[in-house]
Amino acid sequence: MTLRFIICLSGLLFMLLPAPVWAQVQYTISGYVRAANTGEALPGATVAAPSLGLGATTDDKGYYVLTLPSGPQQVVASFIGYQNQPQTITLTRNQRTNFNLAEATNTLGEVVVQGSGTLEQKLQTTQMSLERLTTREAKLLPALFGEVDLLKTLQLKPGVQNGGEGTSGLFVRGGSADQNLFLVDDAVVYNPSHLFGLFSVFNPDAVQSVDLYKGGFPAQYGGRLSSVVDVKMRPGEPEKLGLSGGLGLISSRLTLEGPLPNKKGSWLLSGRRTYFDVFTRQINKLNEGQDDYNPIPDYYFYDLNAKVNYQLGAKDNLFITGYLGRDVFGFGSQNGFDFNFNWGNTVGSARWNHVFNRRLYVNTTAAITRYEYNISNALDQFSFNLASDIRDLSLRTDFDYALNDRHAVKFGATLTDHRFGTGRLRAGAEDGSLNLGSNINYRGQEAGLYASDNFRASDKLQLDYGVRLSGFQSGSDRYVGVEPRASGRYSLTSRTSLKASYALMYQYVHLVSNSGASLPTDIWYPSRGSVKPQRSQQVATGVSFLLGNGRYLLTNEVYYKWAQRQIDFKDGAQLFVNPDLDSEFLFGRGWAYGNEIYVEKKTGRTTGWIGYTLSWTKRQFPAQRGTAGINNGNPFYPNYDRRHNLTVVGLHRLNHRIQLTGSLVYTSGQATTLPLGRFVLQDVYGSDASAVPIYPQRNTYRLAPYHRLDLGLVYKVKPLREGGESDFTFSVYNAYNRRNPYFVYFDQVKDKSTNTVTSYRARQVSLFPVIPSVTYNFKF
Amino acid sequence: MLTRSIFQTLAPMITRRSLGYTLAGVLLASCGLQKDIDVELPAYPAQLVVECYLEPNRVPRMSVTESGSYLAEPTPRIPQDVKVVLTLPSGRHDTLDFKPGINLATGKAYTHIGRSRISASPGQTFQLEAYDTQGRRVTGSATMPAIVPIDKVEWKFNDLSGEQRKAYVTTQFQDPGNTVDFYRFQIHKSTVATDPEVEYTIEDRLNNGTNYTLGTSYEFQTNDTLFVTLYHLNQPYFQFLQSVEEARNANGNPFAQPSAVRSTVEGGIGVFTVLSYQRQRIIVR
Repeated sequence: MTLRFIICLSGLLFMLLPAPVWAQVQYTISGYVRAANTGEALPGATVAAPSLGLGATTDDKGYYVLTLPSGPQQVVASFIGYQNQPQTITLTRNQRTNFNLAEATNTLGEVVVQGSGTLEQKLQTTQMSLERLTTREAKLLPALFGEVDLLKTLQLKPGVQNGGEGTSGLFVRGGSADQNLFLVDDAVVYNPSHLFGLFSVFNPDAVQSVDLYKGGFPAQYGGRLSSVVDVKMRPGEPEKLGLSGGLGLISSRLTLEGPLPNKKGSWLLSGRRTYFDVFTRQINKLNEGQDDYNPIPDYYFYDLNAKVNYQLGAKDNLFITGYLGRDVFGFGSQNGFDFNFNWGNTVGSARWNHVFNRRLYVNTTAAITRYEYNISNALDQFSFNLASDIRDLSLRTDFDYALNDRHAVKFGATLTDHRFGTGRLRAGAEDGSLNLGSNINYRGQEAGLYASDNFRASDKLQLDYGVRLSGFQSGSDRYVGVEPRASGRYSLTSRTSLKASYALMYQYVHLVSNSGASLPTDIWYPSRGSVKPQRSQQVATGVSFLLGNGRYLLTNEVYYKWAQRQIDFKDGAQLFVNPDLDSEFLFGRGWAYGNEIYVEKKTGRTTGWIGYTLSWTKRQFPAQRGTAGINNGNPFYPNYDRRHNLTVVGLHRLNHRIQLTGSLVYTSGQATTLPLGRFVLQDVYGSDASAVPIYPQRNTYRLAPYHRLDLGLVYKVKPLREGGESDFTFSVYNAYNRRNPYFVYFDQVKDKSTNTVTSYRARQVSLFPVIPSVTYNFKF
Repeated sequence: MLTRSIFQTLAPMITRRSLGYTLAGVLLASCGLQKDIDVELPAYPAQLVVECYLEPNRVPRMSVTESGSYLAEPTPRIPQDVKVVLTLPSGRHDTLDFKPGINLATGKAYTHIGRSRISASPGQTFQLEAYDTQGRRVTGSATMPAIVPIDKVEWKFNDLSGEQRKAYVTTQFQDPGNTVDFYRFQIHKSTVATDPEVEYTIEDRLNNGTNYTLGTSYEFQTNDTLFVTLYHLNQPYFQFLQSVEEARNANGNPFAQPSAVRSTVEGGIGVFTVLSYQRQRIIVR
């Protein structure tokens, strides 16, 4: 980017900053809202002066800034699941006030649904299309194999589809799986799943909260078209040493945390590992020596999370986050053939938080992230290795400036250096007779500069507007994007709000995958040559009603999204170790629209939500590059298109020991491609004659509707140590044993006596029957 | 020595398609949650399907059939009114006779047969035209690739004994450096008229012009008689073979993206090509 461009950009951004308003003597209070028992920051908590109708919400670090008139003021800090903390403050100057909120109940604290942000806050905020989860919510709900999965919990929200039975992939408002930006403490995670998407990489013990933005994207986010999944890790217990964990059917978890010396902060170390391999090795051992037995390959995955929160001084804090996750697949045969396949993410970030004054603070984050897969084989003296990776080094700085009681300004910049190893092949022999390889690498630099202003124009009208300027460079190819963002809320009454938003997004890196699932061998590719940045725009409007004395929030949102330069691939595209990979791309457009209805209840003994989405998603790839395009250039539904999606989630606290939970999911059938025709190919010699399927159209067939009921029970038992907690969490996945379709294929029916084909039939495959599970969780 | 054996024996295992296929197989086997369902497919208009592999000094044979709806009866659909004209490199037109039969040497069925052997040499181009009374017309053109000779075929046994003692086989050849080349490698046991024990297709895009060695895993026993064949393909035929494999794999693999068959002919489905190959017979001892 040229200097002139940066100067123009800076000028444009500062034009957005509003002029100060100095009408009366006002002072600012600021500080953190934390949980009294754990010291954890509480994002989304409210600090308000009810008599003045003024208030502020804590940011994702639990920090708030509130400007009030001078004099005595009654201020209340509140957060759902915690006791309100009123405090009288006499404002004669700017001052710092921290709030430490006690939990609303000291029994079964883990099983109270803790939504971040009250319904009142959700009604009032300008941010729409945001789903916020805490680990506590996810931990309560029944889960596949008892494995708590934050991403699967997000799939229960309206506007979010999964990629298939049991998978943790997210398809948000018609976006594809690679159009989600996954962040862990501001560092990007490129592959958020284990075991081909069946489990997410986010260990629930190490995660504090997850925010999913489906639209109305704030200006500080960029780089993906369809969603932002912002995961915040827990900082650890600041007061005392703690140990917690869980024993499940397929994995166990252990977390250690505690204060730093001199109470200068806290630390957390958390790990999780599956033990499929422990069982499969025993099975292999029992069958050792049997001629017809094929050993089961070893497979396991693990996650390691670490976080340190260190107070550098009165105005400075340092947060260091680390994550290492790996899937390990190994196979060794008696014939000397070894096969190893490992993949995973490595993420590290260091964030420096500096408070200049009560109105202005900054977070500066340096991060590194790497995703890689590595396949290695050996046979006799020969070896083979295939690998691919993407590595990012990034630096970002984010300023929050509370200009006055009407304007809250955010501005900042990001810079990322990408390295794409799209294919690294090595083959060799011990005697030197074989030595070949190929190594295809690209680099790219991505930059972003943003500014936004949250403007409270009146008691009824609040606006959030901004712009993000993004740029990408790879070799001699340069791209620049201007991304305006805007959202607004208008309060019709104290219990009714109208909201609207618009966002334009650019995506400069692309996932090379022509499968319908998230596979570890998917690779990332930069915008370069013929591969231009993807672009999307989304408009959304909604209305929210607070009902039942504030106990229910009913929200209805309508969205329309349209996207250009969408990517797919030619039939038979060679995606592995291809130096001309961009020649395999096809480009098209996509559009999606829908309506999401959402009712939620967050307080009381019974809580939960009901979500319903009516949506359409389409894509079109016209004839190009010597092909007829996709589906002969006609629009088609991608396989994640669903017409109807209904979720009902309920949690009921039966007594101080028992919590009952359940979730019901219904979705229209998945769009899929079936062969319409077939022909017989004999090949050069007639011995290999067999039918070849003909696929003239894409995704024209719909699988049967998907529905499933999961049930759960959390039973709190006597803790191992005084002051601790422990419970058994029982889950029944697919309680009524519905045979949901996973895929359909056509099969031959043969006459057993003659071995000739007599007819063809369609077969439906289901993945998971009813699966009960139990997990023991402890904390002390 | 095993320049390509590892690459070509093992690389297919890690491709996206086979990875998904393997996983799908595991899922199918482990869960056993399958049932028959009724599927209503939209009407599918039948197309002419041609299959013709010319060889030097052989009488040309060709099969012309029809494609059909996938769930239709598996009865062969042989149109009776198709005329086939083969145009030789000299420009002479040979009409193939409609005489359905079985080639006893290969067990392969054909519908049309030429009247005399043809001569063909690398670089020569043949034309094909097949049409019926319904107005369907299939055309194709095929140029014979150069023959790429096999330099050496070797094998090596493992250190095991009895039934476990097995050998791998390697085949060496020199890839021409000035062209983009495609190959099909096959090993048949006992006779070429059976399913091959080993088969894969490769292209030389990563190591053009180098010495290639294709190989197998340990899978052959003492005294096995093997026919090792190296086909040198032109690109359309290579793409046809790949697309057929992809189409077959996509049926039953939830991770595969179904793809259309890329025929070497226009106006219908199928393949028209001139075979160019070398074959060696070995006995593994």
